[in-house]
Amino acid sequence: MAFEGIRRIVVAGGSLAGYSAVSELLAADFSGEIVWVTGEKEGAYSKPALSKEFLQGKSEHSELFLPEIADPRGNLRILRNVKCRSLEAERRIVHLDDGASIEFDGLILCTGATARMPAITRGMEGVLGLRTLEDALAIKAELARRPRIAILGGGLIGCELAASMRSFGFEITLIEGAPMLLGRTFGAVLGDYVRELHERNGVAVLTGATIEALEARDGRVAAARLSDGQVIETDLVLVGAGSAPATGWLEGSGLALSDGVVCDATLASSHPGIYAAGDIARWHNPYYGAEMRVEHWTSASAQGRAAARNLARSGVGSSEAPVAFADVPYFWSDQYGLKLQMVGRHDGHDHIEMQETADRAHPLLTFHRGGQLVAAAGVNASRAVMRYRKQIEDEVKARDRVAEPC
Amino acid sequence: MKIIVNRQTCDGNGVCMGIAPEVFDVDDDLYLHVAEPIPEDGEIRARVRQAVTSCPILALKLVEG
Repeated sequence: MAFEGIRRIVVAGGSLAGYSAVSELLAADFSGEIVWVTGEKEGAYSKPALSKEFLQGKSEHSELFLPEIADPRGNLRILRNVKCRSLEAERRIVHLDDGASIEFDGLILCTGATARMPAITRGMEGVLGLRTLEDALAIKAELARRPRIAILGGGLIGCELAASMRSFGFEITLIEGAPMLLGRTFGAVLGDYVRELHERNGVAVLTGATIEALEARDGRVAAARLSDGQVIETDLVLVGAGSAPATGWLEGSGLALSDGVVCDATLASSHPGIYAAGDIARWHNPYYGAEMRVEHWTSASAQGRAAARNLARSGVGSSEAPVAFADVPYFWSDQYGLKLQMVGRHDGHDHIEMQETADRAHPLLTFHRGGQLVAAAGVNASRAVMRYRKQIEDEVKARDRVAEPC
Repeated sequence: MKIIVNRQTCDGNGVCMGIAPEVFDVDDDLYLHVAEPIPEDGEIRARVRQAVTSCPILALKLVEG
C-alpha cells in the first residue's frame, strides 16, 4: 500500500475502532511510526460483552480483551493510560494530558463516545452508568448486597442490564420516558414484544415515565420520584441514557464538528490527513445517501480498517484514490436467552411487513421506504436477517447503478 | 486452515456470518456451523481471517495450515 509522504501516524483512542485501525496499518506494512494513544489502562476490550456475558458472570475479566496486535517491525508505540487533550489540526499536533505533544502526518480519530449522565443522576452514591470496563466492575461490586435496582432508560443498555440483573433474581424497575422500550433502536413492533418479554420475566416496566428526582439517604440513593408522584424505593440506580460522541477535546481544533466529527464518504474529516472511525465519526453513508453516526461493533471495526486504508491512499502523489465506506449497520441484543437482531436503518420507514417464520414463535419484520427495503429485524433469526442484509446492499447498489449518469 | 469455536462463549451473534457467509452459518437456535474444509480462495480466506478477529465475544480461533 501507499502511505506517500506519511512518516508518523497517530491513532487516538483505544477501543475497537482504534484497535482495528492500528491492526490494518500494520497489516498494510506501514513502515513509519504508529503512535497509539489508547487512554486505556489495559488493552482494548469487547464492549458488547459488558452488559451481557460479563455482568451475567458468563465471561471472565481476562476473556474480554482483544488479542495483542502483532508488531513484527517494532514500529508501534502504545501509550496506555494517556488521553488526548487537544488537537491543532492545521499544525498537525496532538497534545496529550501528560503534557507531551506529538506531531503527525496522519491521524485517525477513534475516541468513541461517553455515557450520558443526566443532571439528576449526579452527586450521590449508588448511581452508575455503563460504558466502560471500570463501569461494569463498579456495577459488579454492588451486586453482593442483592440490591433492588431501578434502571433509567429503556434503550439497548437499559434493557440488557434489566435482563442481565434479572438473571440473578433481583427486583428490577425499568423506567423509560418514551411510550415504549427500544423504540428508537428496534421500532414499535419489537418494542412491544420486548416490553412483554421483560414483564413476563418479572421486570416492572414503566414507560412514558419521567424521573423528577432521585432521593438520597446518607449520601446514597434511596428512591426515584417520578413526575406523576410515584416513588420507587431502590438500592441501586443504573443509567442507560444513551451516549454522546467524545469530541470535547476537539473543540477549537479547527475540525468541523456536529454531533461527531464531520466526515465525507471516505471517513476523511474536514482536514487533509485526518480521518475518523467508530462512534465519533459522522460520515456520509453512500448506501443511505445520508450522514449518520453508528455506535455498533461491526461498524466500528470496519470503519477503523477503512479509515486506515484511506489514510494510506491519501498521500500526495498516491496512485490509489480513497474509497467510500458504505455500510449496512448491524447490531444485536441479548435478552433472556433470545437474540434480537437488526440490519439497516429503519428511520423514515413508511411501511412494515411482518414476515413468515417457520415456527412463528418469534417476530421477523422488514422496514421499507418508498417501496425499498431499508432495514430488517428479527428474534433468533440470524439466517433470515443476514439474507436481508445482503438484499439491502444489492438493492441499494442496483438503485445507484440506475441513478448513475451515462 | 481450521476454525476452533469456543462453544462455552459463542453466543451466535452472527458477526462472522455477516463477513464470511460462505463459511459461517448461525442457525435459529443460535448454533454456529462452520463449513469445512474452508475454500482455498484467497479472498474468502481473507474474510474468514477478518471474521475471526471481528468476533465480539472472541469465541473464534484460527489454526493456519
